[in-house]
Amino acid sequence: MSQDPSHKENIPALDADGLSRRSFLRTSAVFTTGLAAIAAGLAPLRNLKDFTSMEQFVQKYYKELTPEDMEKVLKRIENEVEKQYGIRPHVRDLKPMDGVEYVYCLNLSRCIGCRKCVHACVAENNQSRNPEIQYIRVLKMTNGSFDMEKAEHDYDPAMVPEKGHFYMPVQCQQCHNPPCVKVCPVHATWQETDGITVIDYDWCIGCRYCEAACPYWARRFNFAKPSIPKERLNPNMAYLGNRPRKQGVMEKCHFCIQRTRAGRYPACVEVCPAGTRKFGNILDPNSEVSYILKNKRVFIQLKEELGTSPRFFYYFDV
Amino acid sequence: MITAIRNYFIFLLRCARIAFVGDWRYYAWMGTLTVFCILGLNAYAKQFANGLVVTGMSDQVSWGVYIANFTFLVGVAAAAVMMVIPVYIYDNEELHDLVIFGELLAVAAILMCLAFVTVDLGRPDRFWHLIPGLGQLNFPASMLSWDVIVLNGYLLLNVHICGYLLYSRYHGRKPARWFYIPFVFIAIFWAISIHTVTAFLYVGLGGRPFWNSAIIGPRFLASAFTAGPALIILALQVIRRVTKYNISDKALLTLRSIVQVSMIINVFLLVCEIFTEFYSGGLHVVSSKYLYLGFHGYHALVPWIWTAITFNLTAMVLLVLPVSRSLRWLNLTCMLCITGIWIEKGMGLVIPGFIPTPLGEMAEYSPSLNEALVCFGIWAFGLLCYTIFLRMAVPILQGNISKANEGEFLRTAAQQEVREPLS
Amino acid sequence: MKSLSKTSLTLLVLMGVFTALAVGFVLNLWGRPTPRLEIPLVDPAFISTATVRTSYAELVANKEDLSDFDCYGCHEKNKPPTLRFDADHNLIIPQEHSDIVMKHGSHNRNNLCFNCHDETNLEVLQTRDGRQLKFSESTQLCGSCHGPNYRDWEAGAHGRTSGFWNRSMGPITRKDCVSCHNPHAPKFPGRKPAPPPHPLRPLAKPTLTTEGEH
Repeated sequence: MSQDPSHKENIPALDADGLSRRSFLRTSAVFTTGLAAIAAGLAPLRNLKDFTSMEQFVQKYYKELTPEDMEKVLKRIENEVEKQYGIRPHVRDLKPMDGVEYVYCLNLSRCIGCRKCVHACVAENNQSRNPEIQYIRVLKMTNGSFDMEKAEHDYDPAMVPEKGHFYMPVQCQQCHNPPCVKVCPVHATWQETDGITVIDYDWCIGCRYCEAACPYWARRFNFAKPSIPKERLNPNMAYLGNRPRKQGVMEKCHFCIQRTRAGRYPACVEVCPAGTRKFGNILDPNSEVSYILKNKRVFIQLKEELGTSPRFFYYFDV
Repeated sequence: MITAIRNYFIFLLRCARIAFVGDWRYYAWMGTLTVFCILGLNAYAKQFANGLVVTGMSDQVSWGVYIANFTFLVGVAAAAVMMVIPVYIYDNEELHDLVIFGELLAVAAILMCLAFVTVDLGRPDRFWHLIPGLGQLNFPASMLSWDVIVLNGYLLLNVHICGYLLYSRYHGRKPARWFYIPFVFIAIFWAISIHTVTAFLYVGLGGRPFWNSAIIGPRFLASAFTAGPALIILALQVIRRVTKYNISDKALLTLRSIVQVSMIINVFLLVCEIFTEFYSGGLHVVSSKYLYLGFHGYHALVPWIWTAITFNLTAMVLLVLPVSRSLRWLNLTCMLCITGIWIEKGMGLVIPGFIPTPLGEMAEYSPSLNEALVCFGIWAFGLLCYTIFLRMAVPILQGNISKANEGEFLRTAAQQEVREPLS
Repeated sequence: MKSLSKTSLTLLVLMGVFTALAVGFVLNLWGRPTPRLEIPLVDPAFISTATVRTSYAELVANKEDLSDFDCYGCHEKNKPPTLRFDADHNLIIPQEHSDIVMKHGSHNRNNLCFNCHDETNLEVLQTRDGRQLKFSESTQLCGSCHGPNYRDWEAGAHGRTSGFWNRSMGPITRKDCVSCHNPHAPKFPGRKPAPPPHPLRPLAKPTLTTEGEH
């Protein structure tokens, strides 16, 4: 065996089978410690509880689920919620009604900025309290300007409404032409026939492209495991609606789909003390939203110029 | 048939084995990179278990350094194939073998891109939802779906081209033109497309006026073709130093001229953007104001962007002057280019798009320790891959590992250690 | 023993680093997430759908105490109460009714008791065209002057509607005017707002208000 003397390296003595014992030993020693470091490095995964189950991992896309599949899925969700919160919920998969297209009218002359809608929504839709997720954000605007750059989000005076200001709550506008639906790489979000843009929480991969695309900052991401106090859990749930979400998926206002598809008003409408919020079926000429759109004059659709064609009509009538 | 499989298997075995052989500097380098990889792996495990709350991201700024690095590296991957153009279109034989080094860099860069996107996902276990046929890939509406297809396609393309050329060299045969030349030309267009698709990810969002501009695509390409070849200039000099592979200065200077032209275009496009934003003014330039001047008392990014602009301008001046023909100055210039463009694409593009939010709320972002560790881990992983690729490719190109000396290999593995040192 | 070769030394150092890493990971020495801010649960008053006031009709329906409406407990029948005014012709509220603040608009002519109350029969209300209305029908009285709001209210566009938007599936409920508006000082009352949102990454400095450079 020749050893090239110009080599700076000290090549160890080689034995009969061509491998030096020392080089083998030292390589294996390094390997072992390396593998130990990797195994130890993965230690935080011990904390991973209830991340996903096998059935949920292989669950098909919502639109491909047969009614029997859906039954099983709903059962699974009910079991999971019961396990986590000790309350057995009632989870339904409500389908859109025919001849219905929802529209929301919001009277900016009436909103007093009390934020009751924000919290009613949180309570109804089982949103995480910490980290805090709130679908509705109320902006305190200055009279005479619609410039959202000048709005305040964190006002907390002794009394609202404050003189010289008006208040504008913003939530998912359920656009006719939703940018979030366009950009989702896996079709986890889509618009249903009754106009609600929904999310299949078991399909979302959490890339947050939709959050970047939304011009109204309406979408929320579960950065951590959501925490809902047991005593405030709302057990009347819907698959596409207020069933508790998991870490790593998107969520947003869905017009309280568990209420509206059962014919009821969304929680924000029910709680607003000033009667600011109006909701209904635009295809019904006798609904209050049809009345408003027919009889009131100045309507504002936020960021109309983007072509999203939102279903939210803000108006002033005094 | 069986012989072919056996030959290929032995080829792979020899390649794999050589990756673990080297002198102390090699072990030190690979060891350091492995340490960072393991640190990154641990940081990612924490993120996987606790959620993305361990990063610095929030609903207000929902993309951060992961996507910033992804954007930068797609550019590097695209530009790494740029050397293909002078070789195959202009028949520049000087750069012929260097194409392989460029493409190997592209493979490493794409692997890093895929890693960065994966660590950014909230539910990476659901990646199968992206597979067309199995999942529900939203093609052609979603630009992310285009990105998934073009990045993976680019990876396969480059793996094929490099693999085939190296394997042919291993056998001492001239590679069959029909089996790689068409792919090389496809790779040229594909390289431009991967970066354009990535640009369109941002451009297509009407709700973010900072990004919704036609100039983003050209800026991406110009900056990619500046930073990519700059990286290759540095990488080639490292290869020249640690192996006995002969790389002429002429090749480096050809790459320098690519960087020169691209940087001039990059700076010009920057001027265009600044003029458009600040001359007309209006509400939609708030993000630019935040980035370049600070806004409402928030100015975290201002020092970053002006550093980047200084670096870019200095690099441009140096590139234009003949002084950058000397390797010392050229290397400094390349480092200025790479750093300047990394900052510009990362802090200067991704973050300001979120500030202020579409509802006008101010927010700020800075990466957490965990996020930084994951980034370093992925960069280390990429460098590890590239080093391994080079460790395999250089001896093959030099003829030290070939079919001819397969017999010797099979007889005594140890003699390989003697015959194929790093230096 | 020969001195260690550079390679062996390097590998030994690496082994040491790997071991240190493993220890560091298991003991979780760095990268612990910062503890999150305690966010108190919101006061249940903010999610209650109760109205600020209760109308007479609701009091009757819920069989609650109606003693406030027993006018002839103090007043004499067939003796209409006299109104007293000050030098500026503002109404002086008698001390028995000191809890009433008259702020029905800004003009004195709107702040007269018998615009709405019937002085001959204090247990009913009267409209301007001479109709008498029960207290539970007070909405008709409001509507007799406030036409546009009344029409909006009938259509469901003024004031809160609750229940079912889909009338075929259930009833809609509308509140009477006096459930939200105090008939003597009808301006909708202000209140303390619910707490502002708690962002995941609070800003270092408070957001400046609208004035200032833009």
